[in-house]
Amino acid sequence: MGVLQYVAKRVGLYLAVLFIGLTITFFLPRLLPTNPIDAYISQLQSRANGQLTAEAIIQLRTNLEELYGLKGNLFSQYLGYLNRVIFHLDFGPSFTYYPTPVSSMILTALPWTLGLLLIATLIAWVLGNLVGVVAGYFHTKRAATVLEVVGILLYPIPYYILAVSVILLLAYVIPIFPLSPTFPVGPLTPALVGSIVYNSTLPALTLVLAGFGWNILSMKALAVATTEEPYVTFARLKGTSNWTRMVRYVFRNAMLPQVTALALSLGTVFNGALLTEILFSYPGVGLLMRTAASSGDYDVLYGAITLSIVAVATAGLVIDLIYPLLDPRIRHR
Amino acid sequence: MSDIRDTAVSPADLAAAEPAPKATPGRRERASWLWLLNARLVLGLIIIAIFLLGSFVLPLFAPHDPAQQATYMKNLKISPAHWLGTNGLGQDTLWYLIFAVRNSLILGIFVGIGISAISTAIGLSAGFIGGAYERIVMLIVDSFITIPLLPILIILGALIRGNNNFFTIGLIIVIFGWAWNARTIRSMVLSLREREFINMARFSGAGTLAILVREIFPYVSAYLVVGFINTILFAINTEATLAVIGLSKVDVPTLGSIIFWALNYNALFTGNTTWLVAPIVATILLFLGLFLTSTGFNAAFASRRGVA
Amino acid sequence: MAKFGRYLLAPVLGALMATTAMAQSAMTDVGTPRNETLIVQNFDGKAANPDQQNPLNAYAIWRGFRELGWSYLWEDDTATGKSYPELADGMPEALNPEHTKFRVKIRPGVYWSDGVEFTTDDIVYTLATSFKYKDKLTNVAGITSYIKPDSWKAIDKYTFEVETQKPAYDFATVMGVYSWASPFIPVPKHVFEKQADVTTFKNDNPVTLGPYTVKAFDPNGFWQVWQLRDDWKRSGWGNLGTPAPKYVLYKDFGAEETRTLAFVKNQYDEDTFMSPDSIQAAQAKNPAIQTFSPTMPFNDMNDACSYGVYINQQKAPFDKPEVRWALALSLDLQTIGITAVNGQFKAAALPLSDTPITNPLFYQPLLGFLKDLKLSDGYQPFNADFGQQLVDKLKDQGVDASVLPTGAEVQKGYGAGWWKYDPAESEKLLNSVGIKKGSDGFYTMPDGSPWSIEFVIPSDWNKVMQRVGFSIADSWKKAGFNVSARQVDNGEFGTVQNTNSKFTLMVNWANTCVYNSNFLNSWRVFNPDNVKPVDSNDPLNGNLLRVTDKGIFDLVADATKRETTSPEFLADGQKIASALVTGMAEINLMNIPTTIPTNSYYWTGYPKADNFYAAPYTWWSSFKKTIVTIKPTGKQ
Repeated sequence: MGVLQYVAKRVGLYLAVLFIGLTITFFLPRLLPTNPIDAYISQLQSRANGQLTAEAIIQLRTNLEELYGLKGNLFSQYLGYLNRVIFHLDFGPSFTYYPTPVSSMILTALPWTLGLLLIATLIAWVLGNLVGVVAGYFHTKRAATVLEVVGILLYPIPYYILAVSVILLLAYVIPIFPLSPTFPVGPLTPALVGSIVYNSTLPALTLVLAGFGWNILSMKALAVATTEEPYVTFARLKGTSNWTRMVRYVFRNAMLPQVTALALSLGTVFNGALLTEILFSYPGVGLLMRTAASSGDYDVLYGAITLSIVAVATAGLVIDLIYPLLDPRIRHR
Repeated sequence: MSDIRDTAVSPADLAAAEPAPKATPGRRERASWLWLLNARLVLGLIIIAIFLLGSFVLPLFAPHDPAQQATYMKNLKISPAHWLGTNGLGQDTLWYLIFAVRNSLILGIFVGIGISAISTAIGLSAGFIGGAYERIVMLIVDSFITIPLLPILIILGALIRGNNNFFTIGLIIVIFGWAWNARTIRSMVLSLREREFINMARFSGAGTLAILVREIFPYVSAYLVVGFINTILFAINTEATLAVIGLSKVDVPTLGSIIFWALNYNALFTGNTTWLVAPIVATILLFLGLFLTSTGFNAAFASRRGVA
Repeated sequence: MAKFGRYLLAPVLGALMATTAMAQSAMTDVGTPRNETLIVQNFDGKAANPDQQNPLNAYAIWRGFRELGWSYLWEDDTATGKSYPELADGMPEALNPEHTKFRVKIRPGVYWSDGVEFTTDDIVYTLATSFKYKDKLTNVAGITSYIKPDSWKAIDKYTFEVETQKPAYDFATVMGVYSWASPFIPVPKHVFEKQADVTTFKNDNPVTLGPYTVKAFDPNGFWQVWQLRDDWKRSGWGNLGTPAPKYVLYKDFGAEETRTLAFVKNQYDEDTFMSPDSIQAAQAKNPAIQTFSPTMPFNDMNDACSYGVYINQQKAPFDKPEVRWALALSLDLQTIGITAVNGQFKAAALPLSDTPITNPLFYQPLLGFLKDLKLSDGYQPFNADFGQQLVDKLKDQGVDASVLPTGAEVQKGYGAGWWKYDPAESEKLLNSVGIKKGSDGFYTMPDGSPWSIEFVIPSDWNKVMQRVGFSIADSWKKAGFNVSARQVDNGEFGTVQNTNSKFTLMVNWANTCVYNSNFLNSWRVFNPDNVKPVDSNDPLNGNLLRVTDKGIFDLVADATKRETTSPEFLADGQKIASALVTGMAEINLMNIPTTIPTNSYYWTGYPKADNFYAAPYTWWSSFKKTIVTIKPTGKQ
């Protein structure tokens, strides 16, 4: 099967998946029992302690329906949505944050999310896999079991509890980091960047701790399996050193599924990390989605979920295309 | 043509190692199921047995519905009357925990069975039948894989809370969780399909179904057992995450509900640490049991295959 | 390995000590001196639209601007419930006996923060703009449905006249503040008229009329810091007193788990709605933390609104008063209060709050009526000893007697009484309409079908009501009602409250907000226009209690014709309250508990029970009064 044919087939599949994903995304939030107009009006009403007159409410309702463009039946809205998104990449205005366009909201939140999660995911992956491959290669030794136990203890702890414990330890008992981050505003000076890094260290740390347990365990399992392969035994009989065998034979082969997992998890980074953002007041995409879901803000949901779908699908496509470079056995069978 | 992503290690699958093609007929002479046992597996099974027995048998002796509030005084310390004290709602912490473990296990098993059944059926058939059927099925599977689970759960969270049935959460996790396993199973089938012994079976005239059941399924079953166990943990953790955000039915005792209520009443800060620590220790032990069992099974299957 | 560890430890310890020392510096995170900054937890949490600061649009950020940035013709004194002039010079003058024409004088010598004088030009401009763009602006509906179009006239720089569409007896609380804010907020003409499109003008870092200006704000919505104007004396409320803090920082400190830690570390001064058990734990860790009162119920209970269980009276079987009364009598409020809010609440039996303002107007006059009230079978449901019984229960729970009120203080703290807890009587009432307990212990309908009830409660966005709601459901379940509590997001809450087909029972407060004698502000909505069919999907625009009683409609219609300060007007209000209670239209529970702890490390002089110059809120005019009354401690 030629290279071009392979690539074309993969890209075609990619586009088809995107289209299906977009469609499912459109209909899902419409299942929400929340109407964004009601959501907004009830917020006003609770603020006003019931003082809004009936006439005022009726007028507001009509205004909002016009502004939000929620007229017409579902199918025509679907076609309009496809048209806007595919051809103009325009997700429309947010309802809760009217009239800010969804794209600008997402673009504001995205750098925070990407910065935090990309770094945390990469660190967790590298650290976890390093520890895992050592534990797997020397799996008959005591120390390996200890490392595995670390993974077992960390992995099942619910993220929220882990995060609260870290905060208690490193921001309250030993006050190194701030209890409540304040991200400063202003021009991008080194001082500002330093402050951002300082305020982001705790959330990053909790994310690393949460992710790296799984990486240890999975890498260890893979490394154990690979170590048992005949070619590793052959290498040992051949006289290669422990280090070379561990790195060049075991790690390089065991790593392959982990690379796939890394690529896909980098794709899911676009989901944001909701609990992190809630607990650390971090202005990321997860919080955006949560607020949008609770007030029925369809357009923000579409924007955020579509972005995530595109990211994951693209990550998959990229990994499919470069994998043959990593593993010659798979080269375009 | 294999798909690269098929070899990824999913959270539901710790043992993605390819089954080696050596069938060693000599080994089958050993006693019927003793080959399964090794230290890890035994320990894991013991822990799981304790949990299962404890959470399904003990509730029969409960003096009270543990979910009812104000049964006892609030925030009592550990005492002979209350082995883990009481919580901020006036409930006995230990009894609530026992019911919570039971409900979480039920949810986990329900999701595990659901995901295993659906993903096996789809993965096996797609891998073996191939052709246009496979392409359409894999298209659907890929689409489901790319849709992010948490935002969907948040959106559907409103519906979950509206529904009186606790298993709606389970159903939704199944719907959005089967895809990954299906893909992995399909890739296993794909690689097996080309192996010698399958061709031998085909040439000796065995039908498709017989091949599926007698030759392929035994290899897939090793993965299935491991996958099932890990799906249980995945379901329990997802439910706990939902509960923390408040999107699950928190008046039904589950491990997630305990964490929700303990955080809601700020247990850590107000000093009732038992309330929060007990479910965490329980979750860790449960995971330990499940993990040991699954790696124990894996080791056993590996030794059976002759690669221990 | 051990050696390596030791070599690592020394620099780590050094770094720890250095950073700990740094953390105790006297500057806030936004670069202002800590002892000159009043830091409060933002009532609205993370601001939804941080750079929308144009008050003509409803999406504009709210907190901070209501108190420090904008200014109003008349403000409302939260201690007495009476309006007082802020920008205006005196109260409005009615020019005709129908009360539709008014003349208003404003104070000379008030200046915007950029030095331009505030005159009637700004008022006329605001009115004209509101009407001109009323289809696009989203915060002008209140004023455009009240004032007659084009009826405004500036007589001179400090006097103007205007007409209302209908006879108005509440002019000062519509053109001015009622409690939360006002539908009318003057904007600077010299800034707005230069804008190309007023409807999309953000007005960020605006020209303000109040004594503070925006120094900086977080584009992500987590904080805003205000700075005192140098010419604060000639601001909109510069005549109130001397503002003590040079800077005011509103910040969202996040989830309660981390907020309490920050509060204990003196990182901010006033919190908003911290849960009672957290407050107690915080006080144990830091004695500078104080509540409103040193005795139970510790917090100020005099909020304008009261929480209640709202019932869809149009939906069967809730259309029968016996069923509604059965629900009320199966609600063990004492136990619920202890479980959910640590016993810190003030019960209110009438459908409005029991505050020092409303007590002499409604509760005292109707106490006799409540005590004598009989149900259809002769049962007397009112329990005047509710407060004392609750105090006794708290004593049993181990609460120290020194913090429990005694004697006359019990009523002040816990209310004049509430309904009895009598599930047996509930069963009698239900049986009388054919609802009997089935074999599973739950009530079933007369035709034998199971009766399951949906009870909607808020989720994390209103923790107090979330907890109370779950506890109420638990109480009802014990009595035999098959209730399932459903927690919903803010948006869905609104949909449920406004839509008949979705609403059965819910916890709410929006229609039980009678703040002073002017009950019409909350109950004007009881009229036939606000009744929709029971299965309607159309949104309701008021009358959340689903009142359909013609007697009540007539009373409301009568009251609109009367002067709001007349005794006949008040009598109408009392009659409406008694009618609502007789039919148990709504199970009113308690005043909204405003659990606001303060930290006296950097600032002292907050409103307290023994120093009650304003309600202890960080919002409304209370905050203005607080700012001019507190004193710095001078600590670093």
